[in-house]
Amino acid sequence: MDLRDFSNLQLDAMREVGNIGAGNAATALSVMLSRTVDMAVPKAELVSIYELSEYYGDPLTEVAAVFVRSDGDFSCSLIFFQAEEDAQALVDLMLMQQMGMGPEGVPDEMRDSVLTEVGNIILSSFLNAVNVLIGGAHSISVPGVAHDMMGSVLQVVASIFGQSGEHALIVDTTLAVGDLDRNVSGKIVLLPDPGSLEILFGKLQVL
Amino acid sequence: MRTVRVGIAESGVVVNPDSVTTLGLGSCVGVTLYDERKKIGGMVHVMLPSTELAKGGDFNKSKFADSGVPDLVDQMVRFGADRRRLVAKMAGGAQMFSVGGSGESILKIGSRNVEACRKALVGLGIPIVAEDTGGTWGRTVVLFAESGILEIRAIGRAKNQI
Repeated sequence: MDLRDFSNLQLDAMREVGNIGAGNAATALSVMLSRTVDMAVPKAELVSIYELSEYYGDPLTEVAAVFVRSDGDFSCSLIFFQAEEDAQALVDLMLMQQMGMGPEGVPDEMRDSVLTEVGNIILSSFLNAVNVLIGGAHSISVPGVAHDMMGSVLQVVASIFGQSGEHALIVDTTLAVGDLDRNVSGKIVLLPDPGSLEILFGKLQVL
Repeated sequence: MRTVRVGIAESGVVVNPDSVTTLGLGSCVGVTLYDERKKIGGMVHVMLPSTELAKGGDFNKSKFADSGVPDLVDQMVRFGADRRRLVAKMAGGAQMFSVGGSGESILKIGSRNVEACRKALVGLGIPIVAEDTGGTWGRTVVLFAESGILEIRAIGRAKNQI
């Protein structure tokens, strides 16, 4: 379907999908950290693929991003990304909570592996909730991780949507870890395959 | 001295002493053309390999390798460049994420972009004198019309001039 033909009802439905997915992801992160995790109200927006790389701010900002592909009734890509400092703070929290380790002496490969796994659990939790909602089956890829310029990371999104049109449908929400001296947050971005939206809307009865 | 910024799926041509830049190339490819005698440089920020992916006849030429590269040549000529003197450099075409399995094909768009740009340049008889492509990292690039040097910056890597 052409993304420009979206109705408000359908965008609302996408927002609700984001809400349910992110709620489950926030719970998973909260359990892993034994801390409160706040979740912002999800947004669902159509964004020009040409504006994507600056959609979240300066494209040169260094971010850490975890990417997964999901194939099934509702095929999509998902990205969890954070400012690099936030990602490293999250890794510190996770090492301390799960293994009682301080940040000193932990090799970079291990830190990266922790980050990838946290991202993987957040995104898998998101997808599980969405698939329960629509009664669908899905398989999820192994997670890919990148530490790079935000613009380069978001270009992946632009090129996925660029193959079918000029707009990307972005459903995003922010998770923020509570009770800390510094703000540690990350964004979950859901990128439905254009072809999978009709199936999703059919199941949600907003086609 | 001015720096013209080219966005995703855009192009630009500059004359000495100006430069043209694009930020954060990931899977996209920055193709540059240069006429050394006239000191005219151009850049196109290609997003996808082929116009076969375009919907309808009215599309953004700079989005695709097979339309964006010839279009940049035409723009260079309009600025006074001689098409026989043009040489090309390119950068980008990275694979930012690797996930294995069926998801891998959509993430390999970078190498397909590089291949398509190369094919378009060969088809036009324009020599590719240098490139910094592939890998898994993003690149910010600047082409200086004064020298034809293409400067590539990436996080955690030494600055590269080609």
